[in-house]
Amino acid sequence: MKTLTFELFANLERLAGASTCQVEARDDVLTVADALALLASERPELASALDRCACVSGDSIVRRADPVPADGRIALLPPVAGG
Amino acid sequence: MERTVLSHDAVTVEPLLELDAHPECGGLALFVGTVRDHHEGRSVRHLKYTAHEPLAAKIIREVEAATREKYGVPYVRVVHRLGDLSIGDIAIVCVVRAPHRAEAFDACRYAVDAVKHGAPIWKEEFYTDGSSAFVEGCCIRDDLDETPPPSHRHHSHTSHG
Repeated sequence: MKTLTFELFANLERLAGASTCQVEARDDVLTVADALALLASERPELASALDRCACVSGDSIVRRADPVPADGRIALLPPVAGG
Repeated sequence: MERTVLSHDAVTVEPLLELDAHPECGGLALFVGTVRDHHEGRSVRHLKYTAHEPLAAKIIREVEAATREKYGVPYVRVVHRLGDLSIGDIAIVCVVRAPHRAEAFDACRYAVDAVKHGAPIWKEEFYTDGSSAFVEGCCIRDDLDETPPPSHRHHSHTSHG
């Protein structure tokens, strides 16, 4: 088992009522997509918003097929609206 | 020192113009986005910008560099404000210095659009009726084509800015 930490932004943070959320992952959670599927099952209120989120590790976008970042932290960025 | 691209304090336009530099430039295009008092028929009282700052700063710097390259202009500067803003406050500034006006205008528009559509910055509007909402924006996933989402990627671009 390892702990995954999701950093939540904008409407996702509102939906969760917190800026981060942690889930315990079994060893078969290998990719970002696996991690998101786990989050969706643990936090169904977030599930419908996840598809349109970009996932970020540090200052770089990671893709669904990429391995879970070594530090177990994934930032979830919903659609953006600056300017 | 790296130039500021995200500011938690009020943005001042004048220092960004670099009028004492770039003698080869005869054109300066400036866009200033300010907070508007209405959005899609609703009366806006104030708003708040938040960001994923590490990625937003990186993307804005990439947009500046890409704009210089694409339009062959020597100076492109974008600063986006974060935090609580009132009506009329400056939300974004984009300055382009160029030899001539045509590429200055084009590069300025390109850079502003690219930042709005690509930098992870969110606008939460607070309305006069006491409610609030995040403005619906652009999905910045770059692997969407592999797993199509149920809805289209972009909502109305005219609605923000």
